[in-house]
Amino acid sequence: MMEKLTVDAEGKIVIPPEVIQKRGLHPGDELTLVESAEGLLVYQGGVDEKTLAWWNRLDDRQRLLAEDYALRDENLSEHERDASWNQEAESIEIEAESDELDLPTN
Amino acid sequence: MTSSTFQPTSVLLDKGVIRRVYERRVRLALAKPPTVLQVEAANSYAHIATIANRLYITEQTANILKRRTEIFAAPILADTRALKKARYLRRWARRLTDFAFSSEDAIVLAYGSFGLDVESKTVGVDAIITTDFRLAEHYERRHGEIKHRFDDMIVNLPETYAVLRLPQVLTTAAILATV
Repeated sequence: MMEKLTVDAEGKIVIPPEVIQKRGLHPGDELTLVESAEGLLVYQGGVDEKTLAWWNRLDDRQRLLAEDYALRDENLSEHERDASWNQEAESIEIEAESDELDLPTN
Repeated sequence: MTSSTFQPTSVLLDKGVIRRVYERRVRLALAKPPTVLQVEAANSYAHIATIANRLYITEQTANILKRRTEIFAAPILADTRALKKARYLRRWARRLTDFAFSSEDAIVLAYGSFGLDVESKTVGVDAIITTDFRLAEHYERRHGEIKHRFDDMIVNLPETYAVLRLPQVLTTAAILATV
């Protein structure tokens, strides 16, 4: 859903009531205004359902383990982290084509 | 595009999206606030999982996840399937580099048309989701020429390839705008 909001003379914007209701917003709730390449984005705080479901499935021991692993991950330099996500880049060269599969014929 | 017009059956999540979804979980484990890109990716992932029947990643992304910490990576691997490369995927990727896409971007775009799900025996996806705004914008801008080149290539391939199509390419921010 995309909503157009108008900024008033004091710099305030009004969020339509249906969005307030749908998102369960209450007076005093914090929203984050982010400047991105695509313009200004408004984010509601909290954790998305998938991430929350994952976290809720972990028991106390697993959460401690996750924290320990997370700390190691966070302690990597940006370069090390980028390198770990850039392994095994796939070649587009003709010589690499031997692993390509024929389409099923049915 | 609105929520009623964006109803993909199959979606390929690029490596940048999966990385941010993973990192969102790392931040939660540390009780640290996530970055904007991580929130965008995680929220898009959660939304896409509710509307698409099949979530895909590339073989490279799957291999990277398999080497990362299981407690964060295993649930993402369980949610997704790795596409295999159908014949001519790289040929199409090389042609995409003629449109000034990097090799890495070209191969992801090529998976969108020539990525093979060996389980369901389907090929290609409805949409590729990326965190890379410039990639999506460039693809959109050159789409007419890309489509022309794609059609020229497909018509010269065996008949089984006639069903192939180009995917949509959308950013995580664009996905959230449809929620």
